[in-house]
Amino acid sequence: MAAFKPNRICVPGSTSELHRVRAFVEARARQCGVGEQGVYNITLAVDEACSNVIRHAYKHDQGREFCVTIEINDNELIIEISDSGDAFDPMTIRTPNMKEYFENFRHGGLGISIIRRVVDKIEYLPASAGRPFNILKLIKSLRD
Amino acid sequence: MSNFSISVRNHDLATVLHISGFLDAHTAPQLESRLESLIKDGVYKLVVNFDELDYISSAGLGVFMVFIEEVRSNEGDIKLVQMKPKVFTVFDLLGFPMLFDILDNEDEAFVRFSEKGGSQDSSSDAEQDVNDSSEIRRGPQ
Repeated sequence: MAAFKPNRICVPGSTSELHRVRAFVEARARQCGVGEQGVYNITLAVDEACSNVIRHAYKHDQGREFCVTIEINDNELIIEISDSGDAFDPMTIRTPNMKEYFENFRHGGLGISIIRRVVDKIEYLPASAGRPFNILKLIKSLRD
Repeated sequence: MSNFSISVRNHDLATVLHISGFLDAHTAPQLESRLESLIKDGVYKLVVNFDELDYISSAGLGVFMVFIEEVRSNEGDIKLVQMKPKVFTVFDLLGFPMLFDILDNEDEAFVRFSEKGGSQDSSSDAEQDVNDSSEIRRGPQ
């Protein structure tokens, strides 16, 4: 059973939970006054980040949970995705050259490219002695 | 819970897959399985109608990349039609209109298939940088 708090949702590490995460993000982003395309883009970025956690950090282990938190600070929408899997900093991943990608009919590995294109800032905090969770922060400016 | 569905119908010039709902990392395997089955049966001319698709993530985009080379090498193609603007935006973000025919409706796709070969000549388009894709993209009007 997912636990709901006003600005936070925690769900099992299964792709079947992605639609609930998206519904949560959509509703909160709308409450924050984000326009329709912005809501779609933010939801997409969170979906991609959570899909990576489920696949790479948790390897589809439904016994483990990850959480998504949304808050506003100084005209920025800040989304935090926290997990207890192996540390995986998406900023260390080289995004593909799309010309080369298409010429070679490659597939997969586009989630981080999408995240980079639709949010303004990405920060990654690996788990530490004082905090046993990795945190990925996606930051979107609310200024036009 | 399944929030994605596929229906398939045959047309003289191509096989049409009508997809609806949400295409994400959870539901993309359903589409991949259906396409794989069709292609295994020798169906290489495919039209995917998106008019009832409300959402797509990179997992959905990836499904089309899995099969495009094989269908084109068999003188076929996967043509994508009737995308909602918000869905088209995801394809456009990464330059997919460079590689795929993204058309307004099924009739346009059938016309393309009735022309020589039916597949998009992407060789010259693919030489353009993704940032130039606005010049060649096709999308919802």
